[in-house]
Order: sequence, then structure tokens, then C-alpha cells
Amino acid sequence: MSDVDKNEGRSSEDGAASAQATGSLLPVTDRRTLMKAAAATGLIAGAPTYLRGLTSLARAQDSSPVKLGFIEDESGNLAVYGIQKLHAAQLAVKEINDGKTLKGAPNIGQGQLGAMAQVASKPPIISKEGTALDVVDDGGAKDHTDLVYDEDDEILVDSGEKGVLGRELSLVSADGQSNNSIWQQLARRMIQEDKVDVLVAGFASAEREAIRPIVDQAKQLYFYTNQYEGGVADANTFCTGPVCEQQVIPTVQYMVEKFGPRAYTIAADYNFGQLTAAWTRAYIPLVGGEIIGEEFIPLSVSEFSQVIARIQQANPDWVMTLLVGQNHHNYYPQAAAAGLKFPMASTVNMAQGYEHKRFAPPSLANMHNAIQYQLEVPTARNRAFVKRWMAMFPDDPYIGEMAQNTYFTIHLYAKAARLAKTTDQETVRKCLELGWNIEAPEGSVFLEPGTHHCAHPIRLAVADENHNVRFVRDWPMIQAWWLQRLGVNLIRNPEYKQYTPDEDPYFKMFGS
Amino acid sequence: MNALATSLSVLYQFGTNTAFLLLCGLGLIVILGMMNIINLAHGELMMLGAYAATASVQRGVPFPLAVIVAFVAVGVFGAVLERLIVRHFYGRELGALVVTWGISLILSQGALVVLGPFMPSIQIPEGSLRAGHFSFSLYWLGLIGVCILLVAALWWLYNRTLFGLQARAVMQNPAMARALGVRAEMIYMLTFSLGAGLAGMSGALLAPTTSIMPFMGQQFVAPAFITVVVGGATNVIAGAVGSSLLLSLVRTPIGFLFGAFLGLVALLLAALIIIRLMPDGISAYLQKLHDRRTRFA
Repeated sequence: MSDVDKNEGRSSEDGAASAQATGSLLPVTDRRTLMKAAAATGLIAGAPTYLRGLTSLARAQDSSPVKLGFIEDESGNLAVYGIQKLHAAQLAVKEINDGKTLKGAPNIGQGQLGAMAQVASKPPIISKEGTALDVVDDGGAKDHTDLVYDEDDEILVDSGEKGVLGRELSLVSADGQSNNSIWQQLARRMIQEDKVDVLVAGFASAEREAIRPIVDQAKQLYFYTNQYEGGVADANTFCTGPVCEQQVIPTVQYMVEKFGPRAYTIAADYNFGQLTAAWTRAYIPLVGGEIIGEEFIPLSVSEFSQVIARIQQANPDWVMTLLVGQNHHNYYPQAAAAGLKFPMASTVNMAQGYEHKRFAPPSLANMHNAIQYQLEVPTARNRAFVKRWMAMFPDDPYIGEMAQNTYFTIHLYAKAARLAKTTDQETVRKCLELGWNIEAPEGSVFLEPGTHHCAHPIRLAVADENHNVRFVRDWPMIQAWWLQRLGVNLIRNPEYKQYTPDEDPYFKMFGS
Repeated sequence: MNALATSLSVLYQFGTNTAFLLLCGLGLIVILGMMNIINLAHGELMMLGAYAATASVQRGVPFPLAVIVAFVAVGVFGAVLERLIVRHFYGRELGALVVTWGISLILSQGALVVLGPFMPSIQIPEGSLRAGHFSFSLYWLGLIGVCILLVAALWWLYNRTLFGLQARAVMQNPAMARALGVRAEMIYMLTFSLGAGLAGMSGALLAPTTSIMPFMGQQFVAPAFITVVVGGATNVIAGAVGSSLLLSLVRTPIGFLFGAFLGLVALLLAALIIIRLMPDGISAYLQKLHDRRTRFA
């Protein structure tokens, strides 16, 4: 009901604004105004009602920059992630202002997901007798042509304009200092005073939950680019990182098959760690495993002797480490110094805080993580991306999972705003809800419109004794299916909450 | 064998917990006990020590030497602080509290501006001992040894040297000590410098086990204050040793059985109860016991 009312209100406003636009057309002749006029006519002629963002056309006529609000932790416990993300944003904004964009389009995509190629007669064997999970042969000599999975090597193309809609994209960034209350102040300032056109922010789930009420109150278009525990169903929020069902399940399955059923979880003691551990606990019985011990560690803890002793006491087949922040990362060198040699799995470590580069081997030896991106992803498009990044930030030690998410997310926003022909937040949001394919350095990403989450290609990364990373399994695309399972559809039924595993009977079905 | 290994492991955990609390609290309790100044910049002094040691190691200085570098550097820095700022607040406890808090903010934010948000850590010296399915880090075993040495050295300093004698005299009755020709100002400066140096040294010793960041001091401040408040300022050494032993005695079994979080809860609860029963800390209680015994002897 109320939706209909709002739409009607909008179209009458649209009418007024378009009249204004046509009125101002006659005396002015500069190129920008002509473009605007063309855009306006185009919109009136053919675009669907919800794309007629003419209310903001008046606003777009000034040449003030498009403001991208950006908050990350540049200092404090989480700075090791925040600085990568800031650099990613700076790179993306620079590319957009230089007239570049990532390939991608609403719904269809521009990748070469199916292409003809020479292939072998038999498929490669990944799991021989279910034990050796690395690729053991490639299927023999290539003897015929068939359809295979392929991706574009070069994903950065010309956008046809500098900036967004002829305006410069300007990065309004601030340091959240790894402190939730500072995050809230900054989010308020960006929304109310800076009046940013889009907000890209958030590392820890606690930070996201701290600012989400502020975002919702202002109906701010908001991107959360982190890998996280999943479950956020918020009509104003787009979550572009992978979630538990895309990471925990592949990792746990591999670990149980390869190392055995008995797992021990140590996790950061806040919503991310608690919920990811719940996913692990719920899923592991399905593949014949069990959680024999679980411990949640406050973020301020950096001394792990007792945690290590408890793990040794339990003597598991492998350890799930869901540790967050620079305090927690000390677990790895401390465990290595104490002689701990259990295989490890994670959905966060290595790919984000590059612990395998920060600590000397063998601290991270035998770490497994099903990631969508980390610097080592062995594709041509990623090598090109890393090269572009390092040209801009030659001293950077690493490019992590979330930095890459931030990078493609900002390009995605620019593409959506171009299609919407406005920066009006409601219109851009509706444009994003067409569903988008974007060619990111990780591979082809699909923004699923109903749940505002992304399907990602997932790879299982393993660090060896010397901290070299190999990829031992590859899933070309895994859906973020859990919110779909719960029936979330933010287009037809806007919500503003985070679902937790407690709300899904699945999590209790197997006696966890 | 298994029971033996488990008890060895519990003993090791008890040792590491005690060593951690003692290292956190030592510099703080020296300054509080001798000068009655609550030094809120304690964590930042530890941070400076960690930075000094890390920077030295990165320039090829061997780790033990780097720890001494940190002790001397932060000790000198402490002396400068005392001369320039802290000495103006003697006898004004709240003033000293606020000014040291201000110093802590300047130090941590200054480190952020000058040195950036983090620095690569020193690698923990390798090696471990094995017992059953438990293993113990040689570095932490070494730290426990260093703690015992530090306490012994402090005891010697306070009970066997002229400085110690004069320091105890100034602590008990500054006016009388001055009348007897003790240069109280000098003693204050040396004591503050010693406390700062110990904080710096502790920061350096803990540096390999933690992340080197401008705000890293904060993680040590809470354990340091708990140790010091529980220990009390009546006798520096008895206070620091007694409270870290007692708190670890509570924390270790709870932490081993129920996890680090509940171990922390138990530690805080224990601190609460001890302060309720002995408002002036363990050292005052021990002193009272000692006095009573000597009276009857």
C-alpha cells in the first residue's frame, strides 16, 4: 500500500522536475546540459518508472563531485585490513575518474562464461578414491573441441566518461579507529553533513551493526564489502563479500575428508565469530564430522598459552581458527613456537590479514581457507589487477580479500549510477536490484537482486610449510543461498534485520 | 604419564599467566609504591619499549641486547618526562593522574602519526619442549625465568643498595629523609625513570608475542592496574609478586577448564573479592602479618 503511495508521489514530482529541465534547456548550449537534456528525453520516452530519477536531475546539473563516503579502520586493532581497503577505494576512484570501468552489465554479464576450446576426452580427476583431493591427472591428451569455463583476461575497459555522469567521483574517507562508537559518529557525519551519495564502509560485523540503524534511518545507499557471517537482510544495504554458506561448507567438507572428523573451533567473541562457529557446528555432522571443542576469545586477548594448552588437551584432527584483528593474529606465531602442528582451516585468516606474509614460516603452515580472492589467485586478470595496484601503491605488502571486494564494489556503484543516469540513492538502489554481473579480479561476480548478496567464484587456498599458497579446489560459482532459503526478497518485502542461524531449523536438524 | 603431562601443562600455564601479570604491573607498581603517582601512561611506556626493541632487532641487534636498549631508552625518556612534566604534580594525585593520561594520549597518537598504524613484529624465538600431547614454548619458559631474575634484582636494589635505602626512606617520610640529607628530588627522578624503564623492558619482552601498534599499550593497562591494585603499594615487591601469583592461581584452572573468557571473568571476580577483603592490597595484608609476628617474637 504505502509503496504505491510513494511511487505516485514520485511520479508527480518527476513531472515537475522534467518540466523544469525542459524549461532550462533552451537558453543554454554547453555540452553537459545537452547531455542532460538527452538523458531526460530518453528517460521520459522509454525507461521504466522507477528509473526516472528526475527529482535529482536538478541536483545533477551542478558539476559538484559525486561523494563516495568511505569509513574503514586506518588505525587500531583492525588497521591491518582497513589500510588495504582504503587503498582499494583510492585505486577504484582513480580508475573511475580516469574514465575506466570494470566489464559487467545488469543481469547478463560480459564475461565469456562458456567458450569453445580443446579439451581432454575425460574430465580431470580431482578426488582419487576420495582421499587425495589435489588434481591428480588432467584427463589425458586434448582431443576434441568442447564448451569450457573461461574468463576474460582483461577486465578494465573504457567507460566513455571521466568520473560518474560527467561529474568527478570524490572519496570522502575517515578513520574508524577500530572503535564502534567512532564509527557511529562518522556514519552520522557522512550521512547528515557530508550528504554522501553512497556509503562504502565496515570491517567487523560489530561495526556494521553499529552503523546500520543510522544507515536505515536515513535510507542511505550502503555497501558492506566484507566477507562476513551472513544473514543481513536490509533493503538499504548491499553485501558484496562472501558469507558462511559460500565458505564454511566447502572448507569443512574438505577438512573432514582430508584430515578427519574431529574439529576444534577457536573464534573471535563477537557476532562474526559466534555465528560462523554456529555454521561450522551445524554443517559438520552432514559430512560425518563433529566439533569436539569450541572457544570464543575476546578481541582484546593477545596471549594464547591457555588456549593452546586446551587445544592440545582436546587433541583434534584439525582446528578451525576464526580469529580477527592484530591481537588475535598472535595466536599463529605463539602456537608455532609452542610446537602446535594441527592442520588449520578458516574463512578469514590468511586471505585478509595476510598472516602468512607477516609471520615467518611455519606459523601458517597447513592453513586452509575457501576464499573468493587473495593476492595469489592465479589468473591473468588478477595479475593485471595486482600490477595496477602496485603501480599506485608500490610499498603495499598485500592485497586481501576485502580490498578486492571494495575495489569492484565501487566500480559496481559507478556502473549502476550510470545506468540510472542519476545519483539519486533510491534510483541507484533500484538499478542495482536489476541484478548485476561484474567482472572482478577474483572472477565473475553476480549480485543477486532479491537478497542483495553476491554469488562468488570460490577457491580453496592452502599454505604450505614455506607459506607458499596453492589452490587445491575451485568452485566456479557458489550462491549465497541461505537468505533465499529463508524466503528473503528485499524487492517485494523490504526488511532491515540480520537473520541468525537460530531462526532456521536447519541448524538444529542434525543435533548440534 | 598423561596426568603428569597435564599437571606440567597446568604448571606452565600458571607460570605464563603469572609472568604476564608481573611484567604488565612491575613498572606501574614501582612508581605507585614509591611516589604515589598513578601513571596512566604506563601502557604507552610499554608500547615505546616494544617499538624500541622491534626497531633494534630489525637493525640487526640481537634480541637480549634489544631488551636492554628498550630498558635504557624508555628509562631515559621517563627521566625526561619526570623533569619536564611529572615533578610539577607531586602531592597532587588527581593532577598527576590527568597529566599522565594526557601524556599517554600524546604518545599513542604521536606514534600513530610518526610511525604508522603498525609495524612487523619480532619473530618469537623458536623452540618448544614436549610432554605427552602438550608442548611448551621455550620463549615463555625463558620469560618466567626472566621474571624471577627481575624480582630478585629489584629486591637486591631496594634492600642492599644505598639507593634502595634512601628510596625507602623517602617513601616513608620525605621530610625526615630530606632533613637527613637525602636528595629526594633525585630519588623521585630515578624512581620514575626506573619504573618507566621496567615498563619499557616489559614491553620489549612481550613484543615478540604481540602486535606492534601505537595502541598496543592498552591491552596491558587493565591487567597492570588489576595486579597493582590487588598488590597494593605498601611493599612494591611483595605486592607485585603476591598479587600476580594469587590472581594466576584463580585464573589458570578456570581458564584451562572453561576457556580464556571465563578465566578472565574469574580473574576480575577474584580481584574484586581481594580488594573487598584487603582494601590496601595484598602487600598491606602481608605487612600486617609480618608486623604482628615480629611484635610477638
